[in-house]
Formats: sequence, C-alpha cells, structure tokens
Amino acid sequence: MIELAKLSAHFGDATALRDADLVIRQGDRLGIVGESGSGKTMLALCLMGMAPDSARLTGRLSIDGRDMASASERDWQQLRSRKVAMVFQEPMSALNPLRRVGDTVMEPMLLHEGLSRSAARARTLSLFEEVGIPDPEHRLRQFPHEMSGGQRQRVLIALALACNPALLIADEPTTALDANVALRITDLLQRLARERNMALVFISHDLAAVARATQDIVVMYGGDMVERGPTAKVLSAPQHPYTKGLLGARPDPAMAGRDANGKRRRLPTIPGSVPPLHGLPKGCRFSGRCPVELPQCALRRPAFTQTEASRGAACHLLSEGRHD
Amino acid sequence: MTDAPLLQVRDLTRRYKLPRQSLLRRAPVLTALEGGAFTLNAGETLGVVGESGSGKSTLARLIMAFERPDEGQVLFRGRDLHSLPAQDLRALRRGFQMVFQDPFGSLNPRRIIGWSIAEPLRASGEGTAIAQRVAEALEQVGLHPAEASKYPHEFSGGQRQRIAIARAIITRPALLVADEAVSALDVSVQAQILNLLMDLQDDLGLGLVFISHDLAVVASICDRVMVLQHGKKLESGPAADVLRSPEHPYTKTLLKAAGARP
Repeated sequence: MIELAKLSAHFGDATALRDADLVIRQGDRLGIVGESGSGKTMLALCLMGMAPDSARLTGRLSIDGRDMASASERDWQQLRSRKVAMVFQEPMSALNPLRRVGDTVMEPMLLHEGLSRSAARARTLSLFEEVGIPDPEHRLRQFPHEMSGGQRQRVLIALALACNPALLIADEPTTALDANVALRITDLLQRLARERNMALVFISHDLAAVARATQDIVVMYGGDMVERGPTAKVLSAPQHPYTKGLLGARPDPAMAGRDANGKRRRLPTIPGSVPPLHGLPKGCRFSGRCPVELPQCALRRPAFTQTEASRGAACHLLSEGRHD
Repeated sequence: MTDAPLLQVRDLTRRYKLPRQSLLRRAPVLTALEGGAFTLNAGETLGVVGESGSGKSTLARLIMAFERPDEGQVLFRGRDLHSLPAQDLRALRRGFQMVFQDPFGSLNPRRIIGWSIAEPLRASGEGTAIAQRVAEALEQVGLHPAEASKYPHEFSGGQRQRIAIARAIITRPALLVADEAVSALDVSVQAQILNLLMDLQDDLGLGLVFISHDLAVVASICDRVMVLQHGKKLESGPAADVLRSPEHPYTKTLLKAAGARP
C-alpha cells in the first residue's frame, strides 16, 4: 500500500530523515519509536504529504503504486480525505473549541463524501460507539472543554475514522494522557486496526504503548532507521546499541531500591545528548554516545544488516558478525 | 527547632469553589485535597503518585505556600508556613524550592539563564556573590558555568530541566518539591535527570517530595510512596512494599499501566 525507498528530508545541509525504507501493507500495525530529534515525526509528516515547504525530499514515496514524492497539494488532499488519516498528540488543541464535537466529526463526511446531514449524524453516532464514547447522543452536542482528555482523544480518533481511512497514523496519541487512560486508548487503536483491517502507524516514545499496539517496530535515531523487526523480538532482545540503551534507561520498579551500601540504585543512562541536526556525526548517527563504538563508526555509515528473517539493525558490529 | 522533622503535613484540606450553576443554588465546591498528612526527614524522598485531578499538584502548592489550605498545617522545621507573617515566610522560602514540569515555560525566554537561576537569590534578598553562586549551581547540575550567558532556546529539554534544578538549589534549600519534573522528557534524558536528583540528594542531604503520575518513575527514586486519588490518600508505605503488594485496586491499575513492560 505504502512504499518508501531511500526517502530523505533535507533542510539545507542538515538531514532530518535519512534513507528511510519502509513497506506498509493493509492491516499492518507498525510502531515507530525514537526520542526527540529522531526523525519520527518528520517521517509521519512525509506519509501525510505534510512535510514543511522548507524540506527538500529525495527518494521514493509511493502510495498504492502512485509516486507521491512530487505530488501536488491537490493530489495529497484527495488522498488525505479518503486514504490516510492522522491522530495527534494534544486532543485539546486539535479540536476547535468553539464547535460541538459532533459537528467537527461530521465535517469531513459532508465535505468529502457529500453525505446528507442525517446520514453523517448517524455515522458519527456509530463511530462514537465504536471508539467507546458512552451516551453518544448527548456527547455529540458537547464542546471539547466539557470532555476529559481521554474522551477528547476518542473524539479525535472518531474524526480520523470518519472517512474510513486505509491507514491511520497516530503521532504520540497517548503522551498527554494519564497512564491508565493511555492504556485504554492504546488498546482501542489496536482493536480498531484489527477489526477494520486498517493499517496503523503508531509513533511514540512510549515503548510500553508501542509494545501493546503493534506487530512490527522501527527504532529511529538522528534521522536514521537503526533497528527494525517484530516488536516483541526487538524489545526483548534488542540488537542495536541505541535500542539497548533506550530500553535500559526505562525506570524499572523491579530494579528500584537501595544497594548493599544503602545507596539508591542509579538508572542506566545513555551518555550525552542527541546532537543538533547540523551537528550529527557523518557515519553512524549514534557514534560519540555509543558504549561499544569501533574506530570506523564515526566515519562510515553502517549498512543495514539482516540478522534474522524480517529483522535487523544498522550497526558495524553486526555487519562484522560480532553481535551477541 | 532543629530536632523537628524537615516537613510535617497535617490534615491538609483544600476546597475550591466552582462557578455557580444557578442563581438559586449555592456554588458547588470541589474538594481537591482532603486530610493529606505525612512527615519527611532530611535526605528522604516521598513519592506522591496520582493522575490528573488526584490533588497532587494542590498538595505541592500548599507545601510551597503558594496558596492557603482550608484546614490543616504545613510545618517546615516545626514552623507552620500558613500562620507565619509574610515577612518571615519570605525569609524561610529559601529553605524550600520547587522544580516544575515544563522547563521552557518556567524560564524567561528573554533573559539569559544566569539571570533566571539567580532569581530566588534576589527574591530572598541575598545580593552578594551572585555570579559565583550561579556558577556553582550550574556545576552541581552538570552544566558548564560559561553557559550562564546563554538563552533558554539554546538548550535542549533535558538541559533546560537541569537549569530549572540549578535555580531551585541555588538558595541551598533543605527541601525540594518536584512536580512532574521529568514527565516531559525523553526516556534517556529522564534517566539522567532522575540520577541527577539522587546525586544532589546524596550530596546536599535534600528532602524531596517527588510528584508524578508514573509509578515506575516514582519507584525508581523514592523511599516511600503515597497514592492519591480524588484528593484522598489511598495508601502509603515504603516504595518496595507498595510495589510488591499494592493494597488498593487503583494502585494495581497504576502499577499495570507503569509496568506494562515490553
């Protein structure tokens, strides 16, 4: 359905996304994880045809066999209205505060599909039920501020589903939510994707959420896709040093407490911080912070090495066959 | 006074009047916090866990004496903050400082960070050796003193949170209140800031009230944990016990959310 080949996004000399390769088929549930500056949001914007004008795109991006890398805004609009939809992080700012949420959700149906108001209303009601909004008749007439964060996020999901997209892109959909609300929204997205046989791209820095919602995962760092494979395998046995560091840095209740000397245990960290875009190392983006760095890492880009069927990572250690 | 615990919170209750729904009826009242109570000693960390609306930020504002409780007391080294004359409270303020969630929103974008870091010193009337104290605070949070003349936008999110911490410790406080101090940060940066807080505590003997919605984060830094929901304490105890055998179903939910490990 969607195919990226060596897709890059350049801003002047800086590269926010470097040689992204990706295939998304109908019903795929794909997680994209990475921290700020990893390029994950740039990737999502490219998939939506919403990359900033200042970005120069190279490589191939095709949707349903059509090359979209140089498509016009008109073509993209058509595609976005029917094929691809997006759920954003902040449900409050993504909804018009002066409009009843029912009207907001009905709008694309009236606009893009020419439905009558009553037909649009009926579909909105059933969408509200599908995304788990109780008492939908009443909720339709409410304004965003009358709803909780979790309910607002459900409205946004209903809005994204309004025109039955084949692909739903969710960019940090749970970040602004309380933990157990986030859990329910994650499960909802996963269920909707399965029931509708809709592809889901779930972008998040929250590894637990990605683990729950997706089958496959891509780990990004500094604009590169550094590791990919089945979600469960990648997260339980990461192969790229960055993925290992990221997983290790998560606070683990089981590891908390004090050691034999009564000192509280420190969390494992990745040294340093993500360099700014124009200061990224030319070779492996992770060089300079990597605990197992080789001399060639800063100079030469590691090739993507397939370590098993359907998984692999871009690391010189792997290409030299020195992985564990 | 010196043998009084660092911080004692007794039966703290805070109610907010909500907007009137009708002219004929009394305005509804929201009880944001009811009967909050705990004791914290120097060097200890208390984690306060709860979701939005649990009353955890209200608790922070009451401890910091940003607002007054309807009932109860906040004793800092044995002195009730809410019954002190304003002047005494101002003098005492340098002893307890706060770190907020959003380091960008809490730093003045038009001022160099050295100015912002020195703010609490000026507020408490300490005018001497400010530049040296700023340099010292920056080093304590792992930044170079030369960074003092840069502006907030020149720093990453993690560095900005280090700056916010530098500002909080510049008065050499005995108590730090951190409200969602790492929630806006990336996982690897979050780990660095949590470690920094632990280092500072070990070095300076700070008492820390650490407020977060994330039980996993709280567990990694706190000795004791208190779980709040709808303004009430559901349970509290040593972090290890609460995590191993949570008594309340709500705590179990939080644990599940936090512990949904890959």
